[in-house]
Order: sequence, then C-alpha cells, then structure tokens
Amino acid sequence: MSLSPVEGVALAEIESGTGEPATKGVVGRSPGQLAWLRLRRDRTAMLSGSLLVFFMLLGLAAPLIEMVYGIGPREQFQNLLDGFGMPLGYAGGVTGEHWFGLEPGLGRDIFIRLIYGLRTSLFIAFAAALITATIGVVLGALAGYLGGWLDAVINWITDLTLAMPFLIIALALTPTLTLRFYGERGQVSSAFGVGVLIAVFAVFGWTSTARLVRGQVIALREREFVEAARASGAGLGHMLFRQLLPNIWAPILVSFSLAVPQFITSEAALSFIGVGLSDETPSFGRMIYRSLDFLQTDPAYVFFPGIMIFALVFAFNLFGDALRDALDPKSSR
Amino acid sequence: MRPRVAAAAGGAIALVVALGACSENTGEGTTVDTNRQQTGVIATDPKDSQGPAAEVSGAAKGGTFTIIRETPISHLDPQRTYSFAGLMTNPLFARYLTTWKDDGKGGLVLVGDLAETPGKNVNNDCKVWEFTVKDGVKFEDGRPITSKEIAYGIARSFDPDLSGGPTYIQEWLADSPNFDTKWDFKKNKTSLPPGLSTPDAKTLRFEFAKPRCDLPFAVSLPTTAPLPPDKDTGVDLDKQPFSSGPYKVAKNQVGVQITLDRNPNWDPNTDPVRHQYPDQFVWSFGPTADAANNRVIADNGADQSALAFNAVPASLVARVAGDAALKSRSILSPTPSANQLVINNQRVKDLKVRQALNYAIDREGMVKALGGQTVASPLTTLMPPATIGYKAYEAYPAGANGNVEKAKELLGGQTPELVLGVADNSTEQQQGAQLKANLERAGFKITLRNISDDAKLDEIKKKDNPWDLYLGNWAADWPSGASILPVLYDGRTIKAEGNSNQSYFNDPTINAEMDRILALPPADQGPEWAKLDERIMKEHAPVVPLFVDVAYNVHGSKAGGVFISSVFGYPSFVNAYVKP
Amino acid sequence: MARFLIKRLFSATLTLFAVSVLTFLMFFALPRDPVTGMCPKNCNPERLERVRDDLGLNDPLVSQYAGYMKGIVTGRDLGSAQGGRCDAPCLGWSYVSNEAVSDTIARVLPVTLSIVIPAAILWLLLGVGLGMVSALRRGTWLDRAAIGFSLTGASLQLYFVGAVLLLVFVYNLRLLPVPSYTSLFDNPAKWASGLVLAWVALAFLFSAIYARLSRAQMLETLSEDFVRTARAKGLAKPTVYGRHALRAAITPVVTIAGLDVGGALGGTVITETTFGIQGLGRTAVDAVRSGDLPTIMATVLIAAVFVVLANVLVDLLYAAIDPRVRLR
Repeated sequence: MSLSPVEGVALAEIESGTGEPATKGVVGRSPGQLAWLRLRRDRTAMLSGSLLVFFMLLGLAAPLIEMVYGIGPREQFQNLLDGFGMPLGYAGGVTGEHWFGLEPGLGRDIFIRLIYGLRTSLFIAFAAALITATIGVVLGALAGYLGGWLDAVINWITDLTLAMPFLIIALALTPTLTLRFYGERGQVSSAFGVGVLIAVFAVFGWTSTARLVRGQVIALREREFVEAARASGAGLGHMLFRQLLPNIWAPILVSFSLAVPQFITSEAALSFIGVGLSDETPSFGRMIYRSLDFLQTDPAYVFFPGIMIFALVFAFNLFGDALRDALDPKSSR
Repeated sequence: MRPRVAAAAGGAIALVVALGACSENTGEGTTVDTNRQQTGVIATDPKDSQGPAAEVSGAAKGGTFTIIRETPISHLDPQRTYSFAGLMTNPLFARYLTTWKDDGKGGLVLVGDLAETPGKNVNNDCKVWEFTVKDGVKFEDGRPITSKEIAYGIARSFDPDLSGGPTYIQEWLADSPNFDTKWDFKKNKTSLPPGLSTPDAKTLRFEFAKPRCDLPFAVSLPTTAPLPPDKDTGVDLDKQPFSSGPYKVAKNQVGVQITLDRNPNWDPNTDPVRHQYPDQFVWSFGPTADAANNRVIADNGADQSALAFNAVPASLVARVAGDAALKSRSILSPTPSANQLVINNQRVKDLKVRQALNYAIDREGMVKALGGQTVASPLTTLMPPATIGYKAYEAYPAGANGNVEKAKELLGGQTPELVLGVADNSTEQQQGAQLKANLERAGFKITLRNISDDAKLDEIKKKDNPWDLYLGNWAADWPSGASILPVLYDGRTIKAEGNSNQSYFNDPTINAEMDRILALPPADQGPEWAKLDERIMKEHAPVVPLFVDVAYNVHGSKAGGVFISSVFGYPSFVNAYVKP
Repeated sequence: MARFLIKRLFSATLTLFAVSVLTFLMFFALPRDPVTGMCPKNCNPERLERVRDDLGLNDPLVSQYAGYMKGIVTGRDLGSAQGGRCDAPCLGWSYVSNEAVSDTIARVLPVTLSIVIPAAILWLLLGVGLGMVSALRRGTWLDRAAIGFSLTGASLQLYFVGAVLLLVFVYNLRLLPVPSYTSLFDNPAKWASGLVLAWVALAFLFSAIYARLSRAQMLETLSEDFVRTARAKGLAKPTVYGRHALRAAITPVVTIAGLDVGGALGGTVITETTFGIQGLGRTAVDAVRSGDLPTIMATVLIAAVFVVLANVLVDLLYAAIDPRVRLR
C-alpha cells in the first residue's frame, strides 16, 4: 500500500503539464507575478482559496472559539442522551447551545470537536506535506543531478519504500515509540501522537516528489545555462539551489498543494484501521470513523464531520487545480 | 461552474444523510427490564438426565439454520474448544459427561449427558467421582460410546500440541498446573492419565489428591467429549471433528463456512437437551458485526432463517429497539459476563481511596457510553446475578450517577493521581473517556494510558503491571461462586504473569474462608459464596463492579428456538428450528 | 532488453529481501507476545515458556529468519503442533487461525483479485473514456461535468462512499445483497452481485482521477505536431484520434494504472473493511494486531511481490506502447 500523496495520477499530470517551465516572461514581469495575476483572475481559485483561509483561521482560533462558545472538546453531556446513549431532540441533539448536536455515547459537543479536529488535521497535513516535499526535493535533485550510483541507490530506496508494508510499520511504530518515550505510566501528550503520525507520513510520503523532481532535473541537466554554470566551476549547492530548483518550483508547489488534502484523508483512513490518534485528541479521522457506524441511527452525526472534511478536501483540490492552471498557461483549460 | 459542482455534490450527500434525521428523539420506549434471578441445581433425580428433550412449542423439522459471525471459530476440536462461539457450537456435534438443561431464563439444571447422572461422589469427600455411561449412545459411524472413548478424549487434552481448551480436569488429575509435564500423552497413548480409570466399559472413574467438589460442573465443558483413538487426527481434528451429537460436520471450508448435517446415529431418547430440527446448520464467517446484523435485519431470502451471532452493535441498537417488527425478532438477556473497574491493590493500598472510587462511580453514564441497557446492565456485586445463590446488595450506594459528595468526604481533600490503562479499541476508549470525566468530578486525577488492544489482557495479567486501574471482565465457566471468587480473589494464586486475580488482592482470612466453602458439598455452597462476595466488597473493596454484559441478538423472521445460554451468555442452538 | 530485464529482476529480488528482513525486525519490535493469545484463561509462565520454545521464538533472530526463508524455498518440518511437514513454498503455520498460512493465502488472495481486477477494468474504461470525451469536447458542458465529477471523486473517501452505497442499495432499497465473496467458478452471478458495490465505489474514486489525467494527456497530444500532420495528410478523425493520439496519450495512464493495480493487489484494506469482505489486506492487518508472524510475513511478501512486479511490467509495457522508449 503506497502512501505517497501525489503518487500516480497527479504526478503524471504535473509532469506532463510542465514540460516547458514557465520561462517566457514578456513585459518585465517575473513568471511568479504572471502566475499570481492569472490566479487572481480565476474566480474558482479565489473562492476555494478564501474558503481555505477561512478553514485555517478557524483551526488557528480554536481556543478562542472555545472561549466564546463556552464548551470544551472533552466536556460530556450525558444527561442529554437517552437510555441507549443517543442524543435527545432533533437531528442528533442540535440546539442553540450545541450547534451541531452531540456525539452518541459520551455526549460530547460535535461543533467544538470539529473545530479542534480541523486544527489537528490541518496541522498534521501541512507538516507532513512540508517534510515530504523537503525530503523529496533533496533526494530527487541529488539523484537527478549527480546520476550514477547515487541515482541507482536513491531509486532503489524509492522502490523499497513503495514495496514496504506501510500499515505494518504504522501499526507497530505507535505503541513501540510510546513505550520508549513515555514509559508505561506517563500521560501521553496529544502532540506526541500527532508527531508519530507526521513521522509515519514523512517516511512513506516522499517518493512521488522525489520522482517528480528527479525527472525535472534530468530534463534540465543538459540545458545550456546549466552547463554554463557547471563550466564556470559552481559548487553542488549552488547548482542545486541557484540553478536547478528555481526552474522547477512550479510543479513542486502544485504537488505540495495536492499533497495536503491527501494527508488529511490519509489520517482519516488510518483511523479506520485503528492507527492514529487516541480518542482524547479530536481529529477528523477519528470522528468520521466513529460516526460512520451511526449512519442509520444518527445521520446528523455522520453529516457534520462528513460535509466538513469533504468541503476542506474539495477546496484544496479546486485550489490545486487552479494553481496548476495559473502556473502553466499552456496546459488544459 | 466548479463551485456549483461542489454544491451539487454536497447536496447529494446531505440528502442521503438527512433521510430520517428529522424525527425528534424523546427518549421514550428505551427502558429494558433485564432483572432476573438465576436458579441453578444439580439434578438428583436420574430421570432428569434421560431423553428425549421436551419438544419446543412451535418447532418444525427441516430447513437450513444459518449463523453469521465476523471471525471464524478458533477451534472445532472439542478438547481445544474454549471460545464462546466454540462452546455454543460444540453441543451440536459433541456430547459431554454432563450438560446444562437451560430454560434460557436463568433456570438451570445440571444433568447427565453421556452419563446417566451428573456424577457420583463416591466417598462424599469430593476426591473420588464415578460416572456411568448411558445405553444406546453412539458415534456418527454407529459405534457405541463407552467410557474408554471418553477417557481417551480427556487423555488427549494433555497433549501440548492440542492447546487452547479448558485445563481444570487436567490440572486436578495431575494435581499441578504443569499437567503436561506430569503426564506425557504422546508417549503414553495407550494408557490413561494418573487418577483416571475405566473399571469397565460403562464406568469412568476420577480420583483426585484434593477435594474437587466442582467436578460435575467441570465435566460439562467439551474436554469430556468422546473420541475413538483411531479417529484421532491430531491437529487436523479441528477441521473435521468426529461427531457424537445430533449433527456432524459435512463440509468445512476453513475460515469461510461450516456445514453441519444431521447425524442419523444420534438417538434422541438418550439426550436430555438437544434436538434435531433443522436439516442443516450453516456457520458463515466474514461479515463485520454491523454487516451481519444489517443483513439479518433486512430479512431477505436465506437470511430469514439466520441469526447474527455478533450482538447488535451499539450504533444499531436504537434502530432495532425502536422498531416494533424487529422487537419480535430479537432476543435480549443479561449474561454472566461481569465487568469491573479493577483496582490494582498492590498500588492502591489505601482502602478509603478504593471505597471512594466505589462511591464515585457513574454507572448510568458508563452504560450510556456503551450503548444503553441493551448492551450493559449495572452491577454492584462481585458475582453476576446469574450465579447460583446470588444475593443483590450495594456496599457503597452510589445512586445512578455516583455519589460525588460521599467520595470527596472519604478522600478528605486529597486528589489521588491514578493511571487508568485502557485498550486502544473504540469501546474501551469511550469507557476510558467516560471514567476519566466521571472520577475527576469526584476529585481524582486520572491519567489515561493506552495499551495496545491485543496486548492489554496479557499485560494486566502481569503481577507488576504499572497501572492503578483497568477494565476487567470475567465470564465464569460454570455459574458457581467457586468458579468466580477463588479464581479472582484468592491471593495465594498470584504468580508473575498470566494472573486471573488481576486486582492482586490478597487477604489471609478471605483465603481461609474460601477454603472452608470449597470443602462444602456443592449444593450448600451457593449462599456461602454470596455472603463472602458481600464481605469482600464491604471490608476490602478490591474492585469497582460496573456492569454485566447484555446479550442482544437479532434473527430472521423464520428462525426460532434460539435463546441466550444462561451459562455462557451467548445464543444456544440446541432448540433452534426453522419455521416452514 | 535482456540486460534490462536481468538488472530489474536483480534489483527486485534485493527489494524483496530488504522488505522481508525489515518486516521480520518490525515484528519483534511489536509490544505483543503472540504466545499468550494461545492459552486463554489459565496460563502459567512455565507453560508459556514451553510454547515459545516450541514455536522457536526463543531462537536467535537470524536463525528464525533463515528458517522461515528456507521453508519458502525447500519446505521444512514445523513440528506436530503445527501440522508437521510443510512443503515448499512453506509460508509457515498461523498462530491464530491454526492452519497452514498457504491455506489462508489461497483463501484470501482470490478475494482481493476479484475485487481489484474488475474494478480496475471499470475505472480504466470509465476514466479514460470520460477523459477522452471531455478532451475532444473541450469547453462544452460535457467537459465541465466531467471535471466536476473527477474533482468530486478525488475529494471523497472510500469509507464514506462505501457506507452510503451500502445504506442506500443494500439496507434501504434492498436492490443488492450484503457484500460477500463467492467464488467466480462456483456461481458467477453471486460473485458479481456480492462484489459489485466494491467495484463501483473503487471505480468511482479512481476513474475520477484517471479522467483528469487522460484529459490532460489527450489535450497535450492533440496540440502536438504529429497529430496536426496526420490531420493535414487527410486522415479521418477517428483514425487520428483512435490510433495516433490515443496511443501517445495513454502511455502515462498505463504507467499509473500498473502501479495502482499493483498496489491494490497487495490488499485493499479500506475497501475490504468497509464492505466486510476478508481479503489479503484485512488479513494482513488482523495478523499484525494479533502478532501472527507467519501470516504477517506471507501477506507482506505477497503484497511486495505485486508492487515490484507491477514496476517491472510497467517498464516493459511502456516500451511496447511507445516506440520512442528504448530499454537499456
């Protein structure tokens, strides 16, 4: 099972869309400025972009929202549940006090848990995307530029990572690491669980970026300006960061923007097989996983987390799509 | 354009999810009466042990009865059977020395199965027991069953290759927990373990070093299923056991499906409990508990005569209980499986703290967190109500939601910091969150610590485990206090790992009292255990009793005769039939 | 060509070796003792120790690993508690389900194949078809609908789609039986009706992405010189699009499809869990949970073989479809 976020399709799309990096500026505008202009003009991009900013603000302001809302993510309202532990009232216990109703069983407030879940999930996704992008870029650029045995070794490691049982490691890693860091009795902080998840994603998620960057670098390697720089005796660092990377940042950015929603859904998928955060830490994955069982008996409980995660991922995908169009005027639309 | 697509997609999801979201839940019709009294006796009249079993009213012959379960049965080999699914299936193809006549409502009579009576206590000291085998009992190939084959079955249970089954009889005969080193089955296939003998083809004799008054109960477990030595296929018997009961294994696709056909050589006139109504029983494995229950609720085709062996999941309870048509297709019964918040007495030595925990406990909240009264029923005693001689009491009246004031008073301003170890499965996570909130209201400081789900049981069985509190469960192998209190609270049994005494409670006077009761005749023990139960709780409070599991199963509209075993708390099939 | 194959196969073998070693080490890092699960109620330390000895869990790691690998190549004797002689390729004896692991695999592998292969055919046909249509009808409502479909599909999750499909088609409308696996050779109709929901769910999500990919590829190819040349030469539209453009555009699709299918064959855990079907993926997860080493090793290795093979096959196919690619 591969966890690479933009494995496959997206990767090929990015590669195909940017055969010719945006280098032909006209009236003294940099390619970046041009892309920004195009993005500004795209209504979809602006809409999905502002939705994303809104979501991020919600996540950042979670403690503030908790203060205003007056209910914490771990507070239980079991007195508002019936004898089967189902919320009383309409639509899963929606009231003026509990905007999105209550969880069956423990009676925790769904709204505030979603806000905190948003915070957790966004943090995990962004951190994982950043780390995997960094690893991928460095390894890919090295392999592509230096070639030879280093290329062979990095390629082999990529293959191995793809063939490794991601699940086994995720399942094995969490308890083993917890024991190592907290002993048998320590209170495990939420940050630790989050950290382990990010680490798992980092180990398995970098392969596609590495392949993408490697391909791009190989294409650039033989170009005149690169050869010129090499001939004038530039060092490895200069070659990679000054000559090559500035020319391929566009596909990397697109791959990053598509990786974030992938990690959001991966966190949810992992909860589904019992890997991931503990019940104490609110997260989208855990919520959606628990709620699905109640599809028949408490649909509202499925609806709120379901629609929220869909909206978030959809906004990311729309934005990523628009970003690609903006960065590469030649492609599709 | 693209935003419109988003709206459309969101709308579609909203529509699906909104189906049925608009009715108000007023909480009516959600009370379930699960109180009942267990009565258990050992049959004194040999007539009770004679066949045939009374006809089940409304029962008809024919049809295929299907049982759906998520995971396969771990063992079919009777000598290796210990899982509940195995214990409930085995009676269909295996007969034992004794068995329970069960009315499904808590009325239990221990009767002879292959034996004419539930055992003869030869010297009245519980050290020598004799069983006489009935006339006319036969294997699936028509051979008569004698004491030799029963003895052989017990002997092969000493084989370490055939692990997994109960070990009472082996340990009692060898007078050692390491029975397989005391007597090596592989080297002595033609002889019998020490203390076991067959004076003639009709008689089976047990001789023990110590009094073993519970033997009639212990031989109701599948260890005593007979097997001719020439039919012993070793580990492969798991795939194709050799039948002595009303059905035999016709086809076994391991892990997928087991088909049981009628065994023509089974004689109803020798059997006091079993019937042979359906033509076939089919066990079907694979669907999750959710899927299996949904399938049975849907009541389509062959599923009309099916039962979901996995109980109705908490998430579906509201649907099943709220539907009048489904009510008639569900069986609801408390089980003898008792759950405690176990206090590690080696760590929490202050009696006041343990008592405060008992006062603080919010049992109603716990039951709600689990899915309501159809999943769990509150319990304040050590032994479950389904125990012979049970007496209800409340040592620390906590009310429905816990007596926080009383708990705080006992703590006297202290805030004990306790670590609660919970398995990382979704049920225990819920319970953990509920307990933490509950106990912190009463002034405790609780640290929740996750334990890997599969490892949890092994970890808390280790004497030096590092947690102060954890959730424990005990389902006794027979409904006698002797299989509960000494197992869970005799401090002399504590060893380095593999402990059943998970509270690590050890008190010499209590230990001595257990010895006294164990030496009483089995019929007199019941009320004594109940008294000891109350005494342990009042004087020591080693655990916080929480609830007994409630069995809640649905079956198809054509399935009948299924009841919840009063002994094991799972659906029993001896009366099952298919409505025409 | 031959040199390329030898090189690839060598690297593939090395990968499999590394996977097996890492998995083996991973198992012993698990905080789980497989033995205690074997005696349910009344266990004592001495007995546990003897079981450990019998299973060889007390042997040095290297010799345990060597034993397992030797079993795959030459078969080995597992002892009377584990079914005795186990012929090559011996995958060991499951601690949990008490059967030869090869029997387990023989049971669950067809399930996963039955889920993945038809689903892959469906998603390729649907995805590439949609992509082609929207590329050729660029800018029309058809194109926009296809884009919307693909973005929605890419933003939904299988467990969500699966649960909704189950609720609607199985529990509410009762149009389909509850998903289950029947062998294709026993009863093709039942096989199809039991798995169709899984195919549809997988196909919906995957085809969405393939539609995007093939649309972009097709648009790119259509703007290339050789297509324009072909049109200018007077070749009919269907010939140009069908034979020339499609062929060039499909190369990356094949690459991705190969890798996707290879990965999916290793187990579709989420699909299997959502629809309650026991295939390779769920078996692997169950094995990790219960610390069943032989089953873990077997499922992981089989999954890795699929991934590695898919990689090699994709390279070969690439050369076959696109004459510009030469294998070195």
